[in-house]
Amino acid sequence: MSTLIATQAPEARSSSGFRFAMLLPGALVTFLLILFALGLVLFLAFRGNDGSLLGVGLTVENFVTVATDPLYWTVTLRSLVIAGLVTLATVVTAYPVAYYLAFHAGSRRGLLLFLVTLPFWTSYLLRVFAWKIVLAYNGVLNSALIESGIWSEPTLAFLNTPAAVVVTLAHAYAPFAILPIYVALDMIPKSLLEAASDLGARPFTVFRRVVLPNSMPGVLAAALVVFVPTVGDYVTPAMVGGPASTMIGTLIQSQFGKANDWPFGAALSVCVMLVILVVVLVARGADRRFGSRT
Amino acid sequence: MKFLKSITGHKARAGLAALALALSSTVALAAEKLQYFTWSGYELPDFNKSFLAAHPDGVEASIFGDDDDAFTKVKAGFRPDLAHPCYDKVARWNKEGLLQPIETKRIKNWDSIFPVFKNLPDLQAGDGKVWMVPWDWGNTSILYRTDLVKNPEASWNLLWDKQYTGRMATIDAVHDTPIVAALLAGVNPFDMTPEQMDKVAAKLREQRPLLSNYTTDMTSVEQALASGQLVAAMTWNASATSLKKQGVPVEFMKPKEGMLTWACGFVMLKDAKNVDLAYDFMNSRLDADSGKFLIQSYGYGSSLSTAFAGVSKEELEKLQLPSDPEVMLKSTIFTGPMKQNDDVAKMFEKVKAGG
Repeated sequence: MSTLIATQAPEARSSSGFRFAMLLPGALVTFLLILFALGLVLFLAFRGNDGSLLGVGLTVENFVTVATDPLYWTVTLRSLVIAGLVTLATVVTAYPVAYYLAFHAGSRRGLLLFLVTLPFWTSYLLRVFAWKIVLAYNGVLNSALIESGIWSEPTLAFLNTPAAVVVTLAHAYAPFAILPIYVALDMIPKSLLEAASDLGARPFTVFRRVVLPNSMPGVLAAALVVFVPTVGDYVTPAMVGGPASTMIGTLIQSQFGKANDWPFGAALSVCVMLVILVVVLVARGADRRFGSRT
Repeated sequence: MKFLKSITGHKARAGLAALALALSSTVALAAEKLQYFTWSGYELPDFNKSFLAAHPDGVEASIFGDDDDAFTKVKAGFRPDLAHPCYDKVARWNKEGLLQPIETKRIKNWDSIFPVFKNLPDLQAGDGKVWMVPWDWGNTSILYRTDLVKNPEASWNLLWDKQYTGRMATIDAVHDTPIVAALLAGVNPFDMTPEQMDKVAAKLREQRPLLSNYTTDMTSVEQALASGQLVAAMTWNASATSLKKQGVPVEFMKPKEGMLTWACGFVMLKDAKNVDLAYDFMNSRLDADSGKFLIQSYGYGSSLSTAFAGVSKEELEKLQLPSDPEVMLKSTIFTGPMKQNDDVAKMFEKVKAGG
């Protein structure tokens, strides 16, 4: 027994050393870059603004302003609605693509997956500008509509609207939705589908009763991955949205930029994080309660 | 075995030393380049030809779209050698302790700079020193399509005209749009009480639903005016010059309330590493030829009287630029420092978001 321990000990030590080495980079990133940065934001949120880098004193003034000024509620709500629409549009359009990839693509799957990720080879700004070209007054869409005789005059209704923000973001985030849904669909055992058919289910019933419920974890993961970053987006509304599509990210950015009030910007960020947390918890609760998975 | 080990050890050490040497030399190289922080479009090599002849590839430019954003970036730790804010911001940068005074003795064309700029109060650092070397000046006004806006009244009110809802844009900067709103609300833009600021906010709120967007991206504004998506927009002279060159039917308005006139220039950051290069650079930019290029390509005024000597009267007339800024300033509003800059900025941000 004692010899056994003696022979095992160095091995255990080296394996724990290996584990320590493996965990170190992740821990460093988590503590230094994420938790420290978050802590700094939280600290800054409780400071007063005197124009200096870290503010002065200790105050809840910033949060009082956020809570009492209806503007911040309006803009937060607008951001949630826009992000919600983006999520809906992305997931609804991504699902058929993922479905095709998982069940019908066959040997073309590799090529299609490559094509899905292709837009990521260029910068996000370039993709936004591409949408600007499509949606502009004398852009691709307007020209096509006039050429085909549907419209006689170019319309201003495309660019600088919340709809333009939704379309641009939905396109940008499509791969983030396609990939998790594809993985979820791919993991469904084919025998389940065959069994359903054998028992007389028609294709639509198979989809509704077997495929959709089994792919729900992927759909939810996709929705989360799209929703959370889009709530705080500020580049897209600045580039393709007009004054009516100012999102909360724009307001936060301006506090750190032109408005020169970092503590208030930090307080706004903290509030947005809390709002997103609540939304995510509600969505998870609803899924657990009403989700069709067993 | 030992022999081998010592060889590899030696090699490794030599390699490390070489790497360190390479790294330090790239650091040294990087440090020898002048770091210049400026408005987009102001980094053109044609503005400092003689500097580049003496120091090939000697300048590295970073770009900003608005000098309020530039201020927060510098405040947060970005350290260029030279920056290019406008006059109204100099006192603010200075108060934050970001600047070091510039010796006018080392600026060879200092005497050719128009006295109206040389004597600006916030520039004076005493003892033959200044906080900013003026380089460019120009106007802010409404640029409109003469074919789509027929004979408008010469007034800033055009940007509040409901007839053109969704087809106007304005500049997203504190020293432009809020100043105009204050003028229209009958308030002194440079010093206002909280009640007066509410009036300005009300005026800005009135304008928001009529606008296509708030922007500092002048290229997009020019394209939108050229395509007819926008019929009128607040711009600087350069946009007027550029669209007229392209043959777009536009006019740079002379509003009865007055155009805004601004002046900008070089400031040296407190811990600038390349002070000598910075002086060379400013001297090169203050060549009469550089000033002439600024006038002819952008339609902005140079701070040098000698630069104007090289441009014909007809050309200046076409550019709507008098050869003496003092003549201009008789009919325009000079954008000096705004006492409540931060409060106005916050208010403007809220109005833009819909509050």
